[in-house]
Amino acid sequence: MRYDSITEAIGNTPLVRIDPAVHGLAHIDLYAKLELLNPFGSVKDRAAWNMAGPRLAEAAAHGSQVVELSSGNTAKALAVLAGMYGLTFKSVTNRMRVPEIKDLLLLLGAEIEELPGQSECLDPTATDDPLTLFHRTLSEPGSAYLHTDQYFNPRNTEAHLAGTGPEIVKDLDGRAPDWFIACVGTAGSSTGVARVLREHDPAVRVVGLVAAKSDFIPGIRTIDEAHQVGLFDPGTYDSIEAVDSDEAIEGMLTLNRRCGILAGPTGGAAYFGAVRRLKAARAASSARQSAVFIVCDRVESYMSYVRRRRPDLFGRPRRANSPADLTDAEVQAAPAIGVEDARTWIGTGAPLVVDLRSPYAFAALHIDGSVNIVDELFEELLHGGLPFSRTRPVLLACPVGEKSARYAALLNRMGHPDVRSLAGGIIAWRDAGAPLVRD
Amino acid sequence: MGAPPLYLAPRLGEWLRSLLAAPELLHTLTDALGSPLNMVMPDQLAANLEQFRSVYGTHRLSGQVLFAHKANRSSALLRRLAATDAGVDVASLGELQHALGAGFTPDRITATGPKNPDFLWLAARTSVTVVVDGPAELEQLAVLVRKFTLPRTRVLLRLAGFETSGVRVLSRRSRFGTPVNESEQLLEAVQRHSDVVELVGVAYHLDTTSVTEKATALDGCLRVLEECRGRGLRPSAVDIGGGFGVDYLADGAQWERYTTALTAAVLGTRPPLTWGGHGYGLRNESGTLRGSLGLYPAHRPVAGPRYLDELLAHPAASFDGRPLAALLLEHLYDLYIEPGRALLDQCGLTLARVLEVRAPRNGGALLVRLAAKADDVGLEEHGVLMDPVVVPRGRARPAAEPVAVHLFGSLCLETDLITRRTVFLPRRPEPGDLLAFANTAGYCMDFHATRAQQQPAAAKVAAWQQAGSWRWCLDDQYWPVTSMGGVGYDMGGAQ
Repeated sequence: MRYDSITEAIGNTPLVRIDPAVHGLAHIDLYAKLELLNPFGSVKDRAAWNMAGPRLAEAAAHGSQVVELSSGNTAKALAVLAGMYGLTFKSVTNRMRVPEIKDLLLLLGAEIEELPGQSECLDPTATDDPLTLFHRTLSEPGSAYLHTDQYFNPRNTEAHLAGTGPEIVKDLDGRAPDWFIACVGTAGSSTGVARVLREHDPAVRVVGLVAAKSDFIPGIRTIDEAHQVGLFDPGTYDSIEAVDSDEAIEGMLTLNRRCGILAGPTGGAAYFGAVRRLKAARAASSARQSAVFIVCDRVESYMSYVRRRRPDLFGRPRRANSPADLTDAEVQAAPAIGVEDARTWIGTGAPLVVDLRSPYAFAALHIDGSVNIVDELFEELLHGGLPFSRTRPVLLACPVGEKSARYAALLNRMGHPDVRSLAGGIIAWRDAGAPLVRD
Repeated sequence: MGAPPLYLAPRLGEWLRSLLAAPELLHTLTDALGSPLNMVMPDQLAANLEQFRSVYGTHRLSGQVLFAHKANRSSALLRRLAATDAGVDVASLGELQHALGAGFTPDRITATGPKNPDFLWLAARTSVTVVVDGPAELEQLAVLVRKFTLPRTRVLLRLAGFETSGVRVLSRRSRFGTPVNESEQLLEAVQRHSDVVELVGVAYHLDTTSVTEKATALDGCLRVLEECRGRGLRPSAVDIGGGFGVDYLADGAQWERYTTALTAAVLGTRPPLTWGGHGYGLRNESGTLRGSLGLYPAHRPVAGPRYLDELLAHPAASFDGRPLAALLLEHLYDLYIEPGRALLDQCGLTLARVLEVRAPRNGGALLVRLAAKADDVGLEEHGVLMDPVVVPRGRARPAAEPVAVHLFGSLCLETDLITRRTVFLPRRPEPGDLLAFANTAGYCMDFHATRAQQQPAAAKVAAWQQAGSWRWCLDDQYWPVTSMGGVGYDMGGAQ
C-alpha cells in the first residue's frame, strides 16, 4: 500500500477474533479492534488528527503552538503531527506517571508542563484551580495556541463516528455486535463507536470501563474523573464498571502471551472487563453473540508501570559476586579500620583508597589521593571479578562505613587478602577533624 | 433518611481512643473549664518525634527535627518537646520568646517567616539560626549585628522558584524566599558580610502535597550548596521545611464513597450533601463537573514520616537519579525538617457542648447548635472533613438510628457553620452531650480562634496517662516534670 503522508495510515485497523480457547466463553465471538496498529501507536491518532488536522496549516502560518492536556497517547500523536507541520507542541499534565511516555515526548521535542500539586495548607477560598488558570492563559489576548481540547472537542467523538464505528460494522458484515466494551478516557472513542453501533442496532449493549477509584490505569479515568469530561455522558453506557490495575495487567498478559496481541494495560483492562461482563451475561442467554473491545495501545511503553506492580514478571538470574549474597556474619566480620589508624596507613602510601560515594559528593570533598568508583559501578565491576591486583591493599570508604563494610566482606570472599573498610565512613573522618579536599 | 449514612470516621490512635472512652473525664473537664475545650497530649508529640527520627535512622541521616510552632500555641506541647532532642521553628517574636521560655536553647531554634526588627534583634541577640528570606533581610540583619555588636549570626538562606530541565514542574508562586536563579547575589552578600553572618546552609518550604515538586526543590538546593562550596563557603545543612501531611480518616473506602457522592450531589444526581448545596470548589456546568475539589486529601496513607521516607528515596534528576537521601549523606549534609501538622498528628482534640437539637419542620437533617464558634474548630477552615465523635452525657442511651445533622456555631451570624457539610452521626446527639473533634492539634485548634461577640476562646488542658489512668493539668501549668515523674491530678476511675 502506498501513501503520500503517514496520516493516511491512520484508521482502518484490523478486527481480530480472540481464540475461544483463550477466553473460554462458548457462545461468544469476541473481537479485538486493534487500535494499537495506528501509525503513532494508539487509538488517539484518530482523534488527534481529526481535531488538529484541519487547523494545522493555519496554525503553521501563525507560528502557533499546539497545546493539549494529556500525559499519554494524545500528546504523543499531537507531538508527531505538530512536528510534521514545523510546529511545537506543549503538553500540560497533572503528573507524568509513565516515565517511558514522558521520555518519548521529550524525544519528540514536546514541551511538558506539570501542574502544581494540591496545597498542603489549604486555602478553601482559593477557587482558581490550576486548570482554570491554564484555560485563562490560553484565551489571553494575543496568545497563539492551537488548543485541541480533547475532553470537550466534538471532533474527538467524530473521529470514531466516521472511522472506528463504521469500520467495526463493515468488518462484521454490516451488523453491529451484541456487545461493545470500551475504557473511558476522554470518552471520545466509546461515545462515537456506541452511537454508530446503536444506529445499526439499538439493542447493542455498551459497557464503559473506569479505573477503580484509588487506582491508576494509564488512559482510563475513575468514575469521578469521568464526570469532568465534557464528552462523557453516562447515558451512553448500559453499565459502567470498575477495573483495577492488577486486573488490567492480568488481561494484558493474556493478550500478550496467548493471543499475539502486544496490548498495553488499557487494552488489557478492556479485555478483562469484557470477559468478566460476558461471563456474567452468559447464563442469561444461550444464543450465539458477538462482542467487540478496543485495544488502545501497545505494551512497550509500560515496562516500568508493570514492573512496579508485578516485579515477579521480571525475575532476573542471580549474578556472581553480588553484595546481596553476603550473610550478616560475613559483613560483621569484614575488616575495618578506625580513622586514626587509617590516616597512618594511608601515610605509608600502601593502600588504594576507593571512595564509593557519587561523583558529585566526591567532587565536593574527599580524602586526598583517593579514587572514586560509585557503588553502583563498583558492584558491576565485581560481577566480573576482582578489579585490583591482590598485592595492592585497598581501603574502602562510604558515608557511614556500612556499604564499605559490605564490599570489604565481598572482596574478602573473592580472595583479596588486604582490604579494609573505613569505620564510620567519611562522616567519622570529618568529625575526627581529618582533612577533606576539593581538587 | 433514605441513602446509607456517609460517615467520615476519624483515625484514632490508642490515646485518643482511650480519652474518648472516658466520657466522665471529658464532661467533668468541660463542665469546669467551659465549652469549647481543647485537650493536648504532650507524650504523643514525643512519640511522633521518634517516628520521624526512625526515618532519619533508616537513611543514616543526622540533623534537626524542628517543630513548626505556628501549628499550635500550646505551652505544654512545646515544653514536652524541649525535653527531647527536637528543635523548634518560630515565626514571630512571641513564638521565639515562648520557645526560649520553654527551655529550648538557641542552637535548637530557627527563626523563619516575615520578621520585624524586634524579632530579628532577639533572634540575633540569642544566637538562634535565622532563615533569611532574601538580600534585603540579610542586609538588615548585618546592620543590626554590627550596630549592636551582636555575635556572628548563623543563617540559612530560603530559596524558591526551583526549575527543572526536561519537564517543567509548575509550582505555586510563593511570597517567600529568593528565586534560585537570583541566589548568586545572595551568596555574594553572605560573603561580603562574612564577619557578621555564618552560612549554615539553604532552606525551602513549598506549600504542596506533591513529592515531585519537593524533590525538585531539594535537588536544586543541593546544586546551590555545591555552588557555596565552590565559593569557599562551608555549608553543612539543608532545611526542607514541612508539609508532610496527616492521614485523618480511619477508612479510605469512606473517603472514596463520600467524594463520589459529593460529585453526584454537585451534578444534581443525588440530594445535596451540604448546607445550601455548597460544592467545596466543584461546580456543575451543563452536566460536566468543573473546578477542583478544595478539600484536604483526608485519607492519605503516605503521610508524615512515611512521606518523608518517600521524598528521601526519590531520585535526584540532576544527580544521575541517585536517591536524595544518599546524596545528602554522601555530601555530609545535615537534614533539617520542620513538620507542624504531621508532628501534631493524634496530639489533641476539641470538645464542644451540644446546646440545641432541632428537627426542621420540612424534615431533612437535624439542626444542631454547639457551644463553640466555627473558628474554634479549624477543621473546615483547613478543608479537613472528618466526623466528630458523640460523647453522651450520663449513661449511654441504647444505640439508635443514624442521623444526618448540620452543625452550627454559637455566633449570631448566618455563616457560623462548624462545617458546611451534612454530617452523619451513628446516634442522635442530645443537648448536654459533647461532640469531640479529634486530631485538631495541628492548625485546627487555636490558629483561627477569635473572641468574636465577646465569646470565650477555648481553655486548653494537657493530658497524659500515668499507671493506666488519665491525668491532666491546665496547659500553662504543664512542665515535663509534671508528666514524666511528678505530680498531677488523678481523676481516679477515668482511664
